[in-house]
Amino acid sequence: MEAATHALPPAPPLQRPRVLMVGTAFASAAAIMVLLGMLGVYLTQRGAVLAAGDTWLPDGVTIPLSQPNIMLSTLLMGSVAVQWAVYAIARDDRINAYMALGLTMLFGFMVIVMTTYLYSIMELEIAASPQGVLLYAITGGHLAFLIGTMVFLALMSFRALAGQYTSRQHDGVSAAALAWHAQVAIFFVIWLAIYITK
Amino acid sequence: MAITDTRPEVAPEAEASAITTSPNTVFGTGDHTTLGRMWIGAALLLGIAGWVLTALVGVHEIGDADVFSADAAFTMFTLGRVGLVLLVVVPLLLGIATLVVPLQVGANTLAFPRAAAMAFWTWLISAGVLVVANTIDGGFGGGRIEANDMMLASLLGLVFALMVATICLLTTAITLRTPGMSLDRVPATTWATLVGGSLWLLTLPVLAANVLLIYIDHRYGGPSEFGLADNQWAQVSWLVGQPQIYAFVIPVLGMTTDVFTTLGGVRQANRGFVLFGIGAFGALSFGAYAQPFFYPDVADQALWAGMSLLIVLPTLLLVGGWAATLKGARPPAKAAVGAAGVAVLLLLLAVVAGALYVITPLELRQSGAFSAGHFALVVAAGLAGGMAGIYYWSPKLRGRFANEALAKLSVLAVLGGGALAGLPLLVLGFANRFDGLADASDALNGIAVAGAALMALALLATIGALLTASGDTPADDAWGTGQTLEWATASPPVPGNFGELAVVRSSEPLLDAPETQEA
Repeated sequence: MEAATHALPPAPPLQRPRVLMVGTAFASAAAIMVLLGMLGVYLTQRGAVLAAGDTWLPDGVTIPLSQPNIMLSTLLMGSVAVQWAVYAIARDDRINAYMALGLTMLFGFMVIVMTTYLYSIMELEIAASPQGVLLYAITGGHLAFLIGTMVFLALMSFRALAGQYTSRQHDGVSAAALAWHAQVAIFFVIWLAIYITK
Repeated sequence: MAITDTRPEVAPEAEASAITTSPNTVFGTGDHTTLGRMWIGAALLLGIAGWVLTALVGVHEIGDADVFSADAAFTMFTLGRVGLVLLVVVPLLLGIATLVVPLQVGANTLAFPRAAAMAFWTWLISAGVLVVANTIDGGFGGGRIEANDMMLASLLGLVFALMVATICLLTTAITLRTPGMSLDRVPATTWATLVGGSLWLLTLPVLAANVLLIYIDHRYGGPSEFGLADNQWAQVSWLVGQPQIYAFVIPVLGMTTDVFTTLGGVRQANRGFVLFGIGAFGALSFGAYAQPFFYPDVADQALWAGMSLLIVLPTLLLVGGWAATLKGARPPAKAAVGAAGVAVLLLLLAVVAGALYVITPLELRQSGAFSAGHFALVVAAGLAGGMAGIYYWSPKLRGRFANEALAKLSVLAVLGGGALAGLPLLVLGFANRFDGLADASDALNGIAVAGAALMALALLATIGALLTASGDTPADDAWGTGQTLEWATASPPVPGNFGELAVVRSSEPLLDAPETQEA
């Protein structure tokens, strides 16, 4: 009887609408638009200040490049890790999936720590100038996006641990991966517009 | 059921349903019909308040004796503008779409039903906080710091809630369509919701960005620039100017199409052009970039002027499409048809006025009255379109046909109200070119006040028409000429909406069945 069961062909993939994927794509687009809206204001303000012959960052403020570079690298490694999780769960390789999800969360925590460290060393007061408001609003907005993505990723990890996601249905992990990639993409823009060009 | 649940594989058994109002059903529901009713009801009630506020602002403009202090008048003005968009037009159209879109695409439920419920309650609470904060001197540039922060936070809550509700709708329309319903076969209202919702999702976050900068600067930053009292309203006023204001009424284009085709008893002529027209109207109404506070010369740019002029073309294309559809058809003299016609008329007037606005030699951009008139026309068009949707889908909304006499009264009121609230102010916009008009400003403002009051009465009559709906429970296909899937389920819809649906093979699936049988 058992042998007969093993001889059965694999079940066809379940035809399910990718509700969570599409919803996550829309939510990520909205989050990106919030940050792009603020970046638009940032670049316009910066352009006006530079056109007037002034310097953009107030005196005494330095934004080092090492931390943003490490943050970008860490986020990119997180992208690889989260995609590894999708790959693994799609093949019912649960051990690798859990490892990859845990690694992605770890990368996320590292970026949070690095961001707070950067805040502590760049000596930019929020009350002193529009520059401070813009910089903290944009980078803080990205931090909120990252934390939201990590919460989502944690929820989907718990679901995966509970056995809800398999090779037949792994939309939750794929959706969390999509959100992760989206926040990495917008961080790349922030890195370029704020940290590189200063 | 968690918020990440997907569509049930098998629809629950259809049971006879009544519109229940028990606390559990109201507060804990993720049912799209109940949520749609709540959005619509709340938006109509707030709409009355919004137009009364607009009328009071108009009264303040009449004569030399100020009725209110300058600060109070400014607070009322800004609350009226933001309120009519974010508390009235968008929620009303969202509510109708929440009710109708799952039915039109043959879905058993709304995507993320609990998120949709959370969006409604967040919106309602934020709306309450927004109104309270404004009444205690916390409006844009208000003198009371804590109240001002509260207003800004509530505005963020409003935008967040509207975005979540929009995401639920868009996801429903994209993923939960019944087999065979490709995107080019979705009903016009669903298509317009897709276009409009996409625009809202691209532009409302930019408003959130503006408000966030104001909030952070005001609360933590000093304020240094964004949070300064004089700068606050200027940063968000693009929301109620053109072309952005058009984005909020896009679903009306689909509702009008559905009303005309179904009640006309004909298929939409040149359907592809109509869908293209709705899409083009949406593309040309993207206005998040047009922020005069940050880009003072935006009004001189060809892009802004070009979009404002070009949007007339898709509007005319749509009007032509509707005219071609109704040619030879004899739609019944129902309130839904009348309201749809009024929406078309007011929107056409608005886009023509918008095109005049950008013509530099006319010097209309210096006139606050002209932009106020333009805003009133667009909002009135949105509300008229919403009323058309409410009356057309009243069998699904209330399980009865709306009171036709009151509904017709409301259509007359919205026609008169919309025209009177908008046109005199447009005329007043030419006052800097014609001295005689400046002398007549009190009279013109007085007419506009009457128009705003009439708009409030129109919404009151709409509520009355819904509350006094009577008669027997209509058939599934309440009008007898239904073309799309919402007319294949009970009135009001049963839990789960549908049982087994046949594969859809055209954009008018209900017309296909008899034709196939005849063949």
